[in-house]
Amino acid sequence: MRISAIALNTFREAVRDRILYSILAFALLLIGASAILASLSIGQEGRIIKDLGLASSSLFGAFIAIFLGIGLVFKEIERRTIYAIIAKPIHRFQFLLGKYIGLVLTLLVTVGMMALLVVGLAWAIDGYWTPGLLAAAALDFIALMIVTAVALLFSTFTTPTLSAIFALGVFLIGRLSGDLKIFADQFAGLGLRIIVNGIYLVLPDLSRFQIGSRVVNALPLDSADVTWTVLYGLAYILMLLFLAIGIFQRRDFK
Amino acid sequence: MMSGGFLRPNRIALIAILLCLGLLLGAVIPLHRTGKNGRSTPVEEGSWLFLPPAALRVASFGFHNVAADVVWLLAIQYIGSHISTDRKLSELFRMVDTVVTLDPHFVEAYTLGALFMNYSGGNVPGAIALLERGAKANPTRWEPPYNLARTYYLDLRDYPKALHWFEVTDRMPGRPHYVPRFIARLYAATGHRETALELWRAMRDSAASDWVREIAEREIAKLEAEMQRPSGGGSR
Repeated sequence: MRISAIALNTFREAVRDRILYSILAFALLLIGASAILASLSIGQEGRIIKDLGLASSSLFGAFIAIFLGIGLVFKEIERRTIYAIIAKPIHRFQFLLGKYIGLVLTLLVTVGMMALLVVGLAWAIDGYWTPGLLAAAALDFIALMIVTAVALLFSTFTTPTLSAIFALGVFLIGRLSGDLKIFADQFAGLGLRIIVNGIYLVLPDLSRFQIGSRVVNALPLDSADVTWTVLYGLAYILMLLFLAIGIFQRRDFK
Repeated sequence: MMSGGFLRPNRIALIAILLCLGLLLGAVIPLHRTGKNGRSTPVEEGSWLFLPPAALRVASFGFHNVAADVVWLLAIQYIGSHISTDRKLSELFRMVDTVVTLDPHFVEAYTLGALFMNYSGGNVPGAIALLERGAKANPTRWEPPYNLARTYYLDLRDYPKALHWFEVTDRMPGRPHYVPRFIARLYAATGHRETALELWRAMRDSAASDWVREIAEREIAKLEAEMQRPSGGGSR
C-alpha cells in the first residue's frame, strides 16, 4: 500500500518532467523519420523501420531510465523532503521500491508508445502484422528495467552527474558485453581473458535481451533461451535493488 | 522607461525570433553554401574508409542491425552513382562484406549485393563467394542457394553445380514454385537459352526494384536477340 502510494506519486512526478517529453518527442520523431530513410533502400523499407524503431526505443528508453532515475533519491535529499518521508511510519526499502516501481511504470508507458508506433509503421509498410516486434520490445523493456535499477543504485550514494556517467557506462558496456567476450576469447591472452570474462559475468549482459535481429530477419525464437533471459533479467534487477536498499538503509541523513 | 516603448518584453521575444530567422535565411544558409572544406568526400575517390567490419561491430555498441542498415544504404547510394555511369563497383564487395558481418542474417544484402557485383561490376567470383557465405549463415533460407544455382547456370554454365544448388533450394521452405521445373530441365538437358530465358523472366517478375528489373530485361532482350538469329538454337 505504502509502496504503491510512493510509486504512483513518482509516476505522476515523472510524467510532469520536461526531460521525459523532450526525449520522448525526439524518439518518436526519429522513429517517424525512419520511414523517410527507409524509402532510400531497395525493397528493405520494413526492415529499416523495424531496426531503427527498436534501436530508438532501446536508446531513448535508456536515456529516460538514466536521466529520470539518477534524480530519484537525490532530488528528495536536495529538497529535504526525505526528512519528512523517513519520519513517517515507512521503511526506507519501501520508499526505494516505490520510487523504482514508479519509474518503471513511466518507462512502460513511454516504451509502449514507441513500440506501438514501430509496430504500426511496420504494418503500414509491410502490409502484415509482426507480433515478434512486441516480444522484442518486451525483452528490451526488461533490459531497461536493469538500467533503471543501476541508475537508482548510483542515485542512493552519489551525485546525479556521476550517477549518469556510471549508469550510461554500464548501459554501453552491457550492450557490448557479448561482443567483448567473443573478442577476448578469440584474441586476448590468458590474463586479459580472465579479466574480461570476470567483467562479463558481473556486469549485466544487455546484449542477450536484443532479439530484434532475429525478429527482423524472420528467424525463429528459442523460447527456452527467452525464458532464461527473462529470469536472468529479473534476478539481476533484484540483486541491484537489494544492493541499493543495503546502501540506502545505512545512509545517514542527519 | 523602456517597458512602455518599442522594446516591451513581449516584443523582444518576437524581435529575437525574427532576427534569428533573418540570420538563418540571410547569412547562415548563404554562407554555408560558400564553404568548400568539410564536405563529404565522394565514395569513388577511395578515401572512403570503413573501420574493419569486426571493429565496426564493436563501435556500434550492440546496435548491429542499425549499423548494417546504414552501411547498406551507403552501398545503395554507391551502386546508384555507378550503375548508370562507369559500372565500376570496386568498393561494393567490401561494403556488402561489412553489412553481412554486422548482420549475417541480412539475406537481401547477399542476394542483391551478388547481383550487382555480377551484372554491373562483372565480379562473378565475388558474387559466388558472397552467396556461399549467405547460404552457410542462413541454412533455412532459399534465396542464397537459388541465386547460386542461377549464377552457376547462367554465368559459369557449370550445370552440375547449378543442379546441386537447385536441389538444395528445393528442400527449403518457401522456395519458388518453379524450382522443380528447373531441376527437371537440367536432368532432361533442355536447351540452355530456353532455360536461361525462363530464369530471367522469373527474376523480372519477382523483382522488388527497378534496378533488378532492368538487369533482367536487359538479359532477356540479349537472349531473345540471340535466339532470333538464324544460327541461334537452343543447344546446350
